[in-house]
Amino acid sequence: MHRAYPKAALPDSARQGALAAPTKALTRVGYERPGFAFLLNTPALVALILLAAYPIVSSAWMSLHKYSLKRPRIFEFIGLENFRQLLDSDEFWSALWITLKFTGLVVALVTLLGLLIALLLNRRFPGSSLLRTLLLIPWAIPPVVNGLMWQWIYDSKVGALNGLLVSLGLLSDYRGWLSDSTSALIALVWADVWNLVPLAVILLLAALQRIPDELYDAARVDGAGPLQMFRYVTFPWLAQALLIVLILQTMAAIRAFDVIYVLTAGGPGNATTTLTWQTFLTTFESLNFGLGNAYAWTVSIITLSLALFYFRLLFRRGEFET
Amino acid sequence: MTLTATERAKTIGRVLAGLLVALYLLAPFSWLVLTSFMHERDALSVPPQWIPSEPTLENYKIFLDPTGTRAIVGSRAAAQMLPGMLNSLIAALGTALLNLVLGTLAGYSLARYDFRGRTTLLMLYLSSRMLPGIALIVPLYLVMKTYGLLDNLAALVVTYLTFTLPFTIWLLRNYFQAVPRSLEEAALIDGCNWLQMVAKILLPAAAPGLVAAGMFAFMTAWNDYLFAVILTSTMAAKTLPVVVAGFATDVTTERTLMASGGVMAVIPPLVLAFIFQRLIVQGLTSGATKD
Repeated sequence: MHRAYPKAALPDSARQGALAAPTKALTRVGYERPGFAFLLNTPALVALILLAAYPIVSSAWMSLHKYSLKRPRIFEFIGLENFRQLLDSDEFWSALWITLKFTGLVVALVTLLGLLIALLLNRRFPGSSLLRTLLLIPWAIPPVVNGLMWQWIYDSKVGALNGLLVSLGLLSDYRGWLSDSTSALIALVWADVWNLVPLAVILLLAALQRIPDELYDAARVDGAGPLQMFRYVTFPWLAQALLIVLILQTMAAIRAFDVIYVLTAGGPGNATTTLTWQTFLTTFESLNFGLGNAYAWTVSIITLSLALFYFRLLFRRGEFET
Repeated sequence: MTLTATERAKTIGRVLAGLLVALYLLAPFSWLVLTSFMHERDALSVPPQWIPSEPTLENYKIFLDPTGTRAIVGSRAAAQMLPGMLNSLIAALGTALLNLVLGTLAGYSLARYDFRGRTTLLMLYLSSRMLPGIALIVPLYLVMKTYGLLDNLAALVVTYLTFTLPFTIWLLRNYFQAVPRSLEEAALIDGCNWLQMVAKILLPAAAPGLVAAGMFAFMTAWNDYLFAVILTSTMAAKTLPVVVAGFATDVTTERTLMASGGVMAVIPPLVLAFIFQRLIVQGLTSGATKD
């Protein structure tokens, strides 16, 4: 009924492709030729080893050294000293706390807004397909432009937010939204949420559209109200997509960089200095590459642990053939 | 069909909620667009002017003629606009093309062959997609510096592979799996060699996936700021986000110029998004959730 997006062409046929009994050796190119399969992967592997594996190992190596571009000749092995310094510093704990607040707020808002919009769009009403198209606007906007746009909306002298609130009588005077620690963090969160919401809506909507209508009919026959239907029909079908949204958005929020750069540059003071921003400051402002890489690794470890959950979700359904 | 009162009330409620959502999605961006057609004094007026009283194209013309009289303040940034856009286009198209070639090869093997280490490979690809860019930037910067590759568009393109290729492989694998094996087998039995089969059967059958994958790669490269700002410094390779961010951090730049610059940077991804709406939605869903 309510399917304006074609149900992804993939699911059923994809399973056929993946699960069909392996066809025995074909003429010329069989499906069981490991050498050829590896050959096909070589270019991608070479690229990723050079551009991802090498840098991450090299970064680990640098994090164990005293290495600053201010004195580039000194490259002295100091073990975990950089990590000790990091854990002893106020900057780290402050950045970690701000990262937690920023990420928590972004993820909560994106998920909540995303779910509400997806539930709305799952129904057909006049304008609903136009709305689906409009969804692509925030999605397609580069983060730098997003930051620029909101910087101006929040502007203390001529900004649209001030103008709007004052003319509606909700605010008596223009305020510097980005110069107060609390409102700067919220302003940053709101700007990032605007950019991230569409992806959440798209993923959740796709999951909603997979729920068979018969389940709702059956629930209705059983006398279920809207809340019960959500609890017993919608939610179980949505749980996996919700988790995926949570994890992907958490990772996106942790690595947020462009929007911070343009909007707040970590300020005022260090009110919006997240771990990613602190990594950038340590590396490219203080030019302390040793400590900077220790920060980078800390961020990586946090992100990769989240990634592990994501993998488990993707592979949980047992359809992943090994 | 006549609607009952409750059904009508529900529809009205939905339309109202829809209007609210539309306002949320549109308002910030519309303001940017409207401002880009204003004169500077109107853009700075208090209370804000929402609709330009005398719309002007000056803020766009300046990019074509950055030495004109209008360009006194923002001349440097204005002059970088079109070259930056060209650099961005080259970087994004290059990234998309490389992605499709490498992604097709790897994605196909993961979709079709059962071989030892297949799961490991998949996990490897997936994990490299999860690495935060900030963790790779210093070593990449040092390598590029050592080999004189800073400020080089080709080096930038290759760098973007790191972030785009894993997703491309994952996505294409899903699409290739959906192509029936019997099609391929028929082609091979009819005497096609493997490359002919790929070109004539597989790629056309998986065309939506290729378009989607190419577009995601294009957009990731187009949007990137972190790598572009560290790895480039002159107009030899500076991309649009770097130019636009330059507007934002330079207090002397006129507001209206920032707005038109921002709009220019949004146009290509937005046009692609509108044209390929269905493919994007399908691809995002498939790429993030396996099916």
